[in-house]
Amino acid sequence: MSPSAARRPAPGTRGGRATSRGRPRRTAADGGSRMDEVVRSARIVLCCGSGGVGKTSTAAALALHAAELGRRTCVLTIDPARRLAQALGLDLLSNEPRPVARDLRGSGSLDAMMLDMRRTFDELIERYARDAEQVDRILANRFYQRVSSTLAGTQEYMAMEKLYELHESRRWELLVVDTPPTRSALDFLDAPENLNDLLDARVFRLLIAPAQRIGRGYLRGLGLATTAMSRMVRRITGSELLAEVGEFFAAFEGMYDGFRSRAQRVYDLLKDPGTQFVVVATPDEPALREAAFFAGRLADDRMPLGALVVNRVHRAGPVPAVPAEAMARLAGGSGTARLLADLLDQHLALAALAAAEQRRVAALLDSVPSLAAVQVPLLADDVHDLPGLRRLGAHLFA
Amino acid sequence: MAVMVSELLDRARLLVVTGKGGTGKTTVAGAIAMAAAGRGRRTLVVEVEGRQGLAGLFGLRPLDHQERRVAKGVMGLSVDPEESLREYLGRYGAAPLARLLSWARLTRFVTAAAPGLGDILLVGKVWEVVTRRRPGGAATDPFYDLVVLDAPPTGRIVPFLRAPETVAELARVGPIRNQAERVRKLLDDPGLTRMVLVCLPEELPVTETLESASLLRAARLPLGPVVVNRVTTDRLGSRATKLARLARDPEPLAEAARQAGAGLDAAALAVLLGEARDQQRRVAAERRLLRELRAGLPEGPVIELPLLLDGVTGPDAVAELAERLAPGDPAPRPADRMRA
Repeated sequence: MSPSAARRPAPGTRGGRATSRGRPRRTAADGGSRMDEVVRSARIVLCCGSGGVGKTSTAAALALHAAELGRRTCVLTIDPARRLAQALGLDLLSNEPRPVARDLRGSGSLDAMMLDMRRTFDELIERYARDAEQVDRILANRFYQRVSSTLAGTQEYMAMEKLYELHESRRWELLVVDTPPTRSALDFLDAPENLNDLLDARVFRLLIAPAQRIGRGYLRGLGLATTAMSRMVRRITGSELLAEVGEFFAAFEGMYDGFRSRAQRVYDLLKDPGTQFVVVATPDEPALREAAFFAGRLADDRMPLGALVVNRVHRAGPVPAVPAEAMARLAGGSGTARLLADLLDQHLALAALAAAEQRRVAALLDSVPSLAAVQVPLLADDVHDLPGLRRLGAHLFA
Repeated sequence: MAVMVSELLDRARLLVVTGKGGTGKTTVAGAIAMAAAGRGRRTLVVEVEGRQGLAGLFGLRPLDHQERRVAKGVMGLSVDPEESLREYLGRYGAAPLARLLSWARLTRFVTAAAPGLGDILLVGKVWEVVTRRRPGGAATDPFYDLVVLDAPPTGRIVPFLRAPETVAELARVGPIRNQAERVRKLLDDPGLTRMVLVCLPEELPVTETLESASLLRAARLPLGPVVVNRVTTDRLGSRATKLARLARDPEPLAEAARQAGAGLDAAALAVLLGEARDQQRRVAAERRLLRELRAGLPEGPVIELPLLLDGVTGPDAVAELAERLAPGDPAPRPADRMRA
């Protein structure tokens, strides 16, 4: 968690809210105000969490709330399933932000975009290539054509690249990012390093190295092995693959430094106090485990952790315990009595589920003491339009 | 052509379990493995993303590249890319390469630098366990009768399974090409392999499941059943009209409570009726989505698993879901009717 988040009091926020169990939780209470502070003051909000926890809707609801508070806001999704488009009621998103115009309240604005990974990668190459000829050579390379969309970490790296570009344009006061599921979302922390590994892959050059390179310092001593390795790789992969790969790396010559310094700037941006990470989860064991993992990883990298959102929390209302004999009388009684018995059964099941969820959430919060949490109850309807996002927002900022 | 779950459990050699993130792929993979083992098949459940979801599910210490018992009749394996690379390169006499670099570095490099090569190694290992034979056994005597793969999510499943082919397109000859061809034969054969899509009874997962089914069809990967996880159990459905009447005038309910000595005041009854109303709205929404799902999936049965209290955490809970997948009675029955 960022030091500033711990220090700063939450200004001008509404009071917290007790859970339905009647026990006021500090976490539920300060989570909403913390959330409010995040969307009022942050310049970048990254929503992270495992798949299917409602990250996209959460990101969209945060962005909408900020926009309706009067901020110029843009929400960026890098999820390939086009879910944000659905959540925002847009049919198609593009690689350039477009206004979400429908029924927006207040003086702010809301734009949305979905990352086109390939185009972002192409643009990056255009930026750093020496000349048009180098651009053409790389874009035409078959290895590049496959790599640019399938390489592990590329998606995350390109998302961060796009985020940086949007940030630098200064067109928006707040950028909200919906990241891919946790494990690979973590990849973006490593993405600069991974990409450098790839582009500066000494091993790879070693494998494909033509003999003239062997004089280089880092290859000295390994030289003898080089041809044997190249032979082996050729044997395994077939030579054409190798030729394409070799050309790809040769084509990248001279671009490594540009990529590396850019990657470093992106990484620095993520650590900036104006950036806040929001970890999203559901009260399931696996999702909470991922959330804990993610919170730990952010802490290790000294990334500013804004808040935890737990979506789809079951809640049971207050109903006094019914004595066993009364239950038996109801179960054996009239139609209405039996219906009441079933209503009570259902309530007990719901209460047990809600209690189990609260135990799991509490266990996570115990392991990350400084984390502010906001819990969103399971909504009766799926969120797929602006009114739905506002309803979700009402819980996030309660 | 509808397939029955019991038939798949008895005949398939490889079930690839995929789905949108958070739908409970690992839970369903574990339940399928237990159901098959319960029907007498030697079963292996495999995970490939190193999440240790299976260990969490069965309450065990982390799994590794060594196959280990995870439940009665079920072995488990967490495929490790580094070990797979070692096996893979070993097959081509490349061990000397690894002496120059550490295996860890070599793996990191290979998986970072070669697109899909990491996936090829993982898929290759799955192929290996499916086609492995008993020592000294005949060709028809496989080591495992059934392999259940806890696969990457739907967004990644086609590139993952087709990774060998993608690279093979670049490599016209050589071992990668041959290996890719063998993997493709296994994956494309509906008599051996089926894709199991895991879904939740919610809008976006249903949409994504239908999209994924189209992608799998386009990739010619054989579709199997769709498992809808965490379906709300409907205890009140047949009494909706009566509930609506009681919501307007709860007096008969209050009278029943008084007569039974249940000690429920008007506020408590209002809570109960409110919860019932929420539940019914959920159930109605889920029913509508399940109809949509069935309409879009002519090939396979749509199987419902109930939302279990406390979430699934132990072998007992997995066993309970396994029982729902393939109820104990031996008579074959249409999988579609296996309702929670």
